[in-house]
Amino acid sequence: MRSAVQARDEGVASFRTRLFTAIMVIVVTLTALGFYLAQRKVTADAERNLQDNFQAEISSLHKLEELRHAALAERCNALAAKPRIHAAIEDNAIDLLYPSAKDELRDLMEGDEPPPEQATQSLHARFYRFLDSTGAVIKPPNIYDVGELDPKTEAQLALSRLPDTQQIGYIRGNTEADKGTIDEVIAVPIFSSYTGDVISALVIGFKPLGLEEKNAEVEMRSGVWVNGQLHLPSLPKSARASLNERITSAVANFDREQDNFRVNVDGSPHLLFYKRLNPGSLFPAAYEICVYPLAYSMAQLHRLRWKIGGAGALLLLGGFVASHVVALRFSAPVKKLALDSEENRAQRKRAEAALASTTQELERSARYSADASHQLKSPVTVLRIGLETLLTREGFKPEVYEELSVLLHQTHRLTGVIDDLLLLSRMDAGHLQIASGPVNLSQLVDEWLDDLSALPDSPDVKIEKELTAGLFVAGEKRYTSLIVQNLLENARKYNRPGGLIRVSAHCNARNVVLSVGNTGRTIPPNENIFERFHHRSTPSSVSGHGIGLNLARELARLHGGDLCLVRSENDWTEFEVRFPAADGDNAVA
Amino acid sequence: MRLRGLLWFNALFFIMPVTLLAGAVVEGRVELPKSHSAPVQAKRYEIVTKGGVLSTQPPVAVVYLDGVFPSPASLPTKEVTQKDLTFVPALLPIRVGTKVEFPNLDETYHNIFSYSPAKRFDLGRYRPEERPIPVQIFDKPGLITLRCDIHEHMRGLILVLNTSYFVMTDTNGHFRLGGLPAGRYTLKAWIDSRTTREKPVELKNGQTLHVDFP
Repeated sequence: MRSAVQARDEGVASFRTRLFTAIMVIVVTLTALGFYLAQRKVTADAERNLQDNFQAEISSLHKLEELRHAALAERCNALAAKPRIHAAIEDNAIDLLYPSAKDELRDLMEGDEPPPEQATQSLHARFYRFLDSTGAVIKPPNIYDVGELDPKTEAQLALSRLPDTQQIGYIRGNTEADKGTIDEVIAVPIFSSYTGDVISALVIGFKPLGLEEKNAEVEMRSGVWVNGQLHLPSLPKSARASLNERITSAVANFDREQDNFRVNVDGSPHLLFYKRLNPGSLFPAAYEICVYPLAYSMAQLHRLRWKIGGAGALLLLGGFVASHVVALRFSAPVKKLALDSEENRAQRKRAEAALASTTQELERSARYSADASHQLKSPVTVLRIGLETLLTREGFKPEVYEELSVLLHQTHRLTGVIDDLLLLSRMDAGHLQIASGPVNLSQLVDEWLDDLSALPDSPDVKIEKELTAGLFVAGEKRYTSLIVQNLLENARKYNRPGGLIRVSAHCNARNVVLSVGNTGRTIPPNENIFERFHHRSTPSSVSGHGIGLNLARELARLHGGDLCLVRSENDWTEFEVRFPAADGDNAVA
Repeated sequence: MRLRGLLWFNALFFIMPVTLLAGAVVEGRVELPKSHSAPVQAKRYEIVTKGGVLSTQPPVAVVYLDGVFPSPASLPTKEVTQKDLTFVPALLPIRVGTKVEFPNLDETYHNIFSYSPAKRFDLGRYRPEERPIPVQIFDKPGLITLRCDIHEHMRGLILVLNTSYFVMTDTNGHFRLGGLPAGRYTLKAWIDSRTTREKPVELKNGQTLHVDFP
């Protein structure tokens, strides 16, 4: 009893542990999910905010640029329409081209660069050049009038062909120097007054308008990427080189007008946006680059993580307490359940033991009757052989012989009973195996009817037979024969003098049914004649040992058929035995 | 007044019967490009550009005798006026060394200039009443495109030739060039800024030679 209580407590403890584990798993899953979702949301929000910021900045920049481009375009178009420019190009006086333009562009070129705050209103040009009909730069005679450019920078102004429309480009001045500048250039076509074809182009360079880096909350850094080179002076040089590679591959691989991706600048995460500044231009593609630090959103994320982590810990603590409470509340019914189940188990064990002993007893009894039959058989054999030997002797009185033959007959009966018992006990023990094969039922019936009529004490009965020859049933011949013998012997034994025995058979696809009927005293309805060692309630001149019908029915059932009493009334008793038909042997019914 | 007198002299020179003067005469017809515009009533024609080629509209040609001739002692002064924002005449053939005046007959400024290799000049802005009238001497043969810096559509042509023997065809292409010296020469017909046809001719005094430019 001590160990049972211990086991019960252990069970309750393990229940509590499992409950707590389940709660913990749920809480941890929820916390992790919360972490994940919050992180996604914060990141997405930050990216969206920065994206909005970038789009707003860049669209305001674009508006300013568009205004400037429009103003410039107007000036350039007016210039391009000037007769002197046309005369210089059309009348083969290229040497007069730059001098002619000098006067026209004086207001753009003269004066100092305006301060940055006035840059948007200013149309101050840093340089200008003309392109010839192949798109190459026409060398100016006097470099000081047209704005100085080193040869490499000047070469970037050339186009593969003359443009039909205004083109915007970005070139890097001072290419080798690290602190190089970016110039924005506008190429305006000049159309021939003779043919209407593009005969030249004017390229004017300006200081580009930059994004205003004034947003205090989000410290943004902007620059220009052009032709594989990143111009972002506010970034340290080491960061610029790696950024440049990222942007170059992004631009080259995806060929998008704009996009964004995450980058690391000096070990801290940043979001980088890029947008094409001159879509569709003949000049090399240039992109506005904006780099936003993600430190702010990272801090936000960090705070949120702490909050969610704290909430998760609280939940876990709550879960721990709850599991304790629940375990305590549940332990009472669980204890009861444990008790009940112990009782149940004991009952089941008892029942199992009883079943086992019953089975043993059954086996023992079956074995016993088998042993008994064997033990009985030997003395009966000795007795019979003794009686037969005595019958062969001479010199006894005739009455003695008669007595001896009666005794011999009884030994034969005894042998039959013992055989039957032996068979029954084997069947009970489940040891009897049927070697099934086709058995000629018609022939069996004929043989037994012959034997019947040959018996010395056969009463004067008439036998009617309605049996087609060659009816085959599935079964083992000796047992089938035993069934038929039993039925026929009973029909003779319990007949009345001058009575009748009728044997008939019919068959269908699956079964063959043999009917054996006889006249004579009927069997009362309440009598169970199939019971083992049954004896008729009413006295009779004939007697059986009371196992024949039982044996016959058991055998019939073992064969997959059955034996039953069909009727017993008005001087007529009829039994019917059903055998499974042998496959394919009963061609006709 | 002197200018008028000179013009009259010129007219008489052309109208006089050829037989009265010693020298040869060439006459004929230049096949001119087809003109799609309606015929102009007056002798006004303008310079048009088509495919980068300058020509007059309606088309006329300048026929001249190419060769080396002694330069005359004096050359008459010619003029190209600016009237109604056009050059009149739009095409002026002259001998090398001729002085050309550019009087402004409009009531606005003009700024005549040329970037042509044969003569580059820029007269600057001037009003109609400004005196002296701007003038240029053309001392190199070639075609000069006149432009106005203020009125970008204005175009004029001056064809500077080495010879005094030239004449403009009528709008049908007919020409008659008289008082020519005898000898072997090349007769040329300037049709537009890109096209000049030529034919060798042998001239004899008192003879009229018929030459057609197909």
